[in-house]
Amino acid sequence: AAEPWPENAVLYQQLKEEQILLSDNASSLAVQAFLQMCNLPIRVVCRANAEYMSPSGKVPFIHVGNQVVSELGPIVQFVKAKGHSLSDGLDEVQKAEMKAYMELVNNMLLTAELYLQWCDDVTVEEITHPRYGSPYPWPLNHILSYQKQWEVRRKMKAIGWAGKTLEQVLEDVDQCCQALSQRLGTQLYFFNKQPTELDALVFGHLFTILTTQLTTDELSEKVKNYSNLTAFCRRIEQQYFEGHDRDSSATVAARSAKRSLLR
Amino acid sequence: MAAPMELSCWGGDWGLPSLHPESLTVMAYAKFSGAPLTVNTINKSWRAPKGDVPVLISADIVISQPAKILNFLRKQKYNADYELSAKQGADTLAYIALLEEKLLPALLHTFWVEAENYRSVTKPWFASRIPFPLSLYLPGKMSREALNRILLTRGGPPPYSLTEVEAQIYRDAKECLNLLSKRLGTSQFFFGDTPTTLDAFVFGFLAPIYKVCFPRVQLQEHLKQLPNLCHFCDDILTCYFRLTVAGHSPAGQDTADANLQKLTQLVNKESNLIEKMDDSLRKSPQHPPRKLTTLKLAAGGEESSPWNRLSP
Repeated sequence: AAEPWPENAVLYQQLKEEQILLSDNASSLAVQAFLQMCNLPIRVVCRANAEYMSPSGKVPFIHVGNQVVSELGPIVQFVKAKGHSLSDGLDEVQKAEMKAYMELVNNMLLTAELYLQWCDDVTVEEITHPRYGSPYPWPLNHILSYQKQWEVRRKMKAIGWAGKTLEQVLEDVDQCCQALSQRLGTQLYFFNKQPTELDALVFGHLFTILTTQLTTDELSEKVKNYSNLTAFCRRIEQQYFEGHDRDSSATVAARSAKRSLLR
Repeated sequence: MAAPMELSCWGGDWGLPSLHPESLTVMAYAKFSGAPLTVNTINKSWRAPKGDVPVLISADIVISQPAKILNFLRKQKYNADYELSAKQGADTLAYIALLEEKLLPALLHTFWVEAENYRSVTKPWFASRIPFPLSLYLPGKMSREALNRILLTRGGPPPYSLTEVEAQIYRDAKECLNLLSKRLGTSQFFFGDTPTTLDAFVFGFLAPIYKVCFPRVQLQEHLKQLPNLCHFCDDILTCYFRLTVAGHSPAGQDTADANLQKLTQLVNKESNLIEKMDDSLRKSPQHPPRKLTTLKLAAGGEESSPWNRLSP
């Protein structure tokens, strides 16, 4: 028998204002959206060493009862084992489609975010390096930043993204958004009237891209080209994130701070 | 008209036009869209390009990755996705991402990382097609690159255990195969009756798993339990690649040759039979008794459907 969801479930991520980066924020927001959609209460705790506490090295991770689960995929399965699922109403072909679209987001959007953060020199210098090591004293902050950058660049090289220019990456993002926009069409959610984990994942990434101020606006412009996607983000924000203890404004506008997150 | 286009890629064996998934994808797409492509398989000559394979050379343009090659072919008006709706085009992108994330690691592992497979099959095969000094170095390099890719995209932070990563990627690959099978259902291709880009990619990834004979074959066994995917591969091979006995096995697996011969004979026999059955149904009941007995024998010998294939 599955244990019920405890009241003190916690989600760990990096420090919101100073440390967290675009891709980690997107993943974290996706998990939060998913848990909200399942109506499971969760408390968000920000720790500087969240990445190192996580069992797989990736944020966010949740601490529920005496179990620790990280990343959206395993969290969805864990929640399903507890008896809550958003995708039960889908038939087999739709489930296949949902998994395929989730992989598309991971493959293109997440990789593009990582590329922009760690392989684009301007962004790295002005935003990523200062933020990533900010909780740590010198020289640790530099060392950790460079180590992470080296790791990400190795990964990019292995999957063939190292040779891409920024324009090509932005084009890939555009293609991905076009595919998502066409799939969403005029529906409320990707699969009919009920949100699924795909909606949570897409919301996490798109909302973060739209509301994060980077050195250029090109990335968010690509998403803004598709009005049904921005309407989708706004709708989910209003439905699942309003009225909670977050200092958010209801509009999708960036603040004047160099890198602010609308929460 | 467009300049003549040449494709350089790895050759084939075990009944496939190429062993390399990406080369196979490009060749399949060219067949589907009717692009006139001369295929040069990489042989021992030094002139063949060794960098990224497959490589498309047209006039002076050299293009190397499958996605870019397909884009180029589309711009030359060889478009297999002409009849797809926007949503189907989006689905194509999504499923290709699924293949790359879930199936490719296991495919790379089966070919390049699994020690027994690599030593006994992959390395000798590739080494025999690369000129001498490089053949000592290049297969090893490809194997290291494959392992690297698997660990970087799938491995957790160190210390990780390679066996856990392997178990996870095979689980993911089997799930991916199941999803593809469910999506294909009973139709012949993924989007209706004509093959498209997605069919090319799926074929490119599945056919090597399906056909190549490895000592360690857990993925192949799983694939064989999904008959609609097996039929999908076989259909494309027979319809679009028209492999005959005289064609394609230079490295000569004799059993594969013999099977292929039997297969071709069976197919021919069956198509003759169907014609005869058709004729006999339409004409009068009197026909030579010999034909009846052959019909009966053959009808008894067939297992399920006329298109049941022998698997090599």
